[in-house]
Amino acid sequence: MIDAERLKILTESAKYDVSCSSSGSRRKNEGGIGNASFGGICHSFTPDGRCISLLKILLSNRCAYNCLYCPNRAEADVPRASATPDEICELTMAFYKRNYIEGLFLSSAVEGSPDATMAKLVDTAVRLRKVYNFHGYIHLKGIPQADKALISRAGLYADRMSFNVELPAERSLRLLAPQKSREGILSPMKQLALEKAAVKEDTAKARKRFLPAGQTTQLIVGASPETDGQILKLSEALYRRFSLKRVYFSAYIPVVHHALLPDTCTGLLREHRLYQADWLLRFYGFTAEEIAPEGENLPEEYDPKCAWALRHMQFFPIEINKAPLEALLRVPGIGTLGAYKIVKARKFARLGFGDLAKMRIVLKRAKHFITCGGKFYGSENVTSVKNLLMLEERSGRYEQLSMFSTPETSLSALTGQL
Amino acid sequence: MNVYLTDGSEDCFYTAVFSACTDRDCVVTSARSLQLALGSTVLVVRADEEKCGRVKKKLQQYAPRSLADISLILRRDSPGKEQTALEYIRLIVQKKAPVGDMLSHPAVIAAREEKKKVTLEAHRFTGFLRFIEGEGGILYAPFAPDNDILELLLPHFLARFRGMPFIIHDTARGRAALYNGKECVVAETEKKVEIPLAEREAHFRALWKDYYEAVNIAARPHERQMKGYMPVRYWKFMPEKQ
Ligand code: SF4
Repeated sequence: MIDAERLKILTESAKYDVSCSSSGSRRKNEGGIGNASFGGICHSFTPDGRCISLLKILLSNRCAYNCLYCPNRAEADVPRASATPDEICELTMAFYKRNYIEGLFLSSAVEGSPDATMAKLVDTAVRLRKVYNFHGYIHLKGIPQADKALISRAGLYADRMSFNVELPAERSLRLLAPQKSREGILSPMKQLALEKAAVKEDTAKARKRFLPAGQTTQLIVGASPETDGQILKLSEALYRRFSLKRVYFSAYIPVVHHALLPDTCTGLLREHRLYQADWLLRFYGFTAEEIAPEGENLPEEYDPKCAWALRHMQFFPIEINKAPLEALLRVPGIGTLGAYKIVKARKFARLGFGDLAKMRIVLKRAKHFITCGGKFYGSENVTSVKNLLMLEERSGRYEQLSMFSTPETSLSALTGQL
Repeated sequence: MNVYLTDGSEDCFYTAVFSACTDRDCVVTSARSLQLALGSTVLVVRADEEKCGRVKKKLQQYAPRSLADISLILRRDSPGKEQTALEYIRLIVQKKAPVGDMLSHPAVIAAREEKKKVTLEAHRFTGFLRFIEGEGGILYAPFAPDNDILELLLPHFLARFRGMPFIIHDTARGRAALYNGKECVVAETEKKVEIPLAEREAHFRALWKDYYEAVNIAARPHERQMKGYMPVRYWKFMPEKQ
């Protein structure tokens, strides 16, 4: 049985992986314990405001690699530990039964070789499914450069897998994670995407579930000089080429001092702006180029949708009772939920400004960009609109903490309503 | 003004609706602590199979999904729930059609908000419910939800823990679902039950608390967000918050 000390070492190191979601899978309970819930379930929240859904843990933090930004790199002097597949299985089962978690997110440092590490990860997943009869959620981290057959096999037992792209540009990766290569990370992602597509095509195999919740990845923001525009362009390509479910961003936190690394934390605000932009890419019909040209960063003063709208005032105001869904989605402050509500409601009754408020659609930004039954309630003057939007973002006692973002921004980065 | 006083059950509510639907300024409620307006008449309603059946049949005909919506609204812990449901039914009867998409209509807005509170709480408890392993392996989960959601949670846990005996106990209402691995019944119970713990229980509880502590990023406190998603009143039965 795993003891408290090893548990601490192995989870402390895993916590900076930001993906926590347990969504995307409909795995059924086939005569054992557990199933997956398609929308995902949060089981607890930590004082940093993040959700706990999966038991996030490493098999081992003994690493053969030397990624500069990582506290577990080979050269670092930190306490080391590893766990056996059975120890992980046992802990997962015990936590699951008590409804502490939705499943397991298993990762590992490169202990020995990539193949040996990947084999141990896969072995744990296979055991959970076959020996422990576990049908809950499993997210496996992929080890770059591991054998293709192992990666395929993982896809048969895991709900989701992720290979972390880590740094937005190949140059930075070479510099900061010398043993990793862009190719070594992207090619297994491609392999899994192709295999998943092939299983989908083949109806005979369709019952053999393959990675039902797809793949995700993570990018560290601020450890290297890439701009938001580059990061978004890369995300867009990853969504398109590998049908990724989610790209996660992790604001850089310096845990290691090194001449090649910045000594300061990347502001949470930047991370939140990127998440907002990411929602725009996935659900609002924006392209990366529209949100931020490649050499540019996202503005800090207002969210990326506001920024776009302010650059395109010629499209506004739009009439709430007539505008097509695509246009509604581009109005600052009207999120996907709001836009769908408007489209449904206006079939029955003409909507006025008051109706929108009653429907809980937030209007403080939107009012400058819409008319309701021909009436305009915002400000005509673009400069004053800019100022109004900016002031509102900066308001409150959070002003002095420019590193942190406002509660409103952080909420919108999470829910994707902007 | 007539005040229809129901016993809180669905059948009794529909029986009241039979008359209340066309009784313009009436109030339907099951709340016992009621401020009566001057000149109001209290009518104590007893469930009547025929009246209840006729109302349900009409609703079934006009808006088949509305019965499920109303059942959710009636699970709310709020004195106005019957009135909200009544206004919603009146609109359906007036339109002779489903009204769920009339999102700017006040009756629909109110109904959706009440329903949302119930379904949201049920969803939250699929995550926040905590089982304790008792002697002999039985799993026991006490909780005290705002709304009456015990039955809404059952399908989830019956599918997930199929074949594993468990008890889910609403300590606020004194009701529990008892599952022996094959059948599940809901029964009235005491509000407090003592369960002898399994040997390993304390060990895994302690590990879970350690885990909870270890995954937190202390450099980025955001208590407000934590409490927003996981209200303090739910912490009572969560070991990581003890
Ligand atoms: S491979 Fe790199 S990032 Fe992963 S544990 Fe080893 S040093 Fe850290």
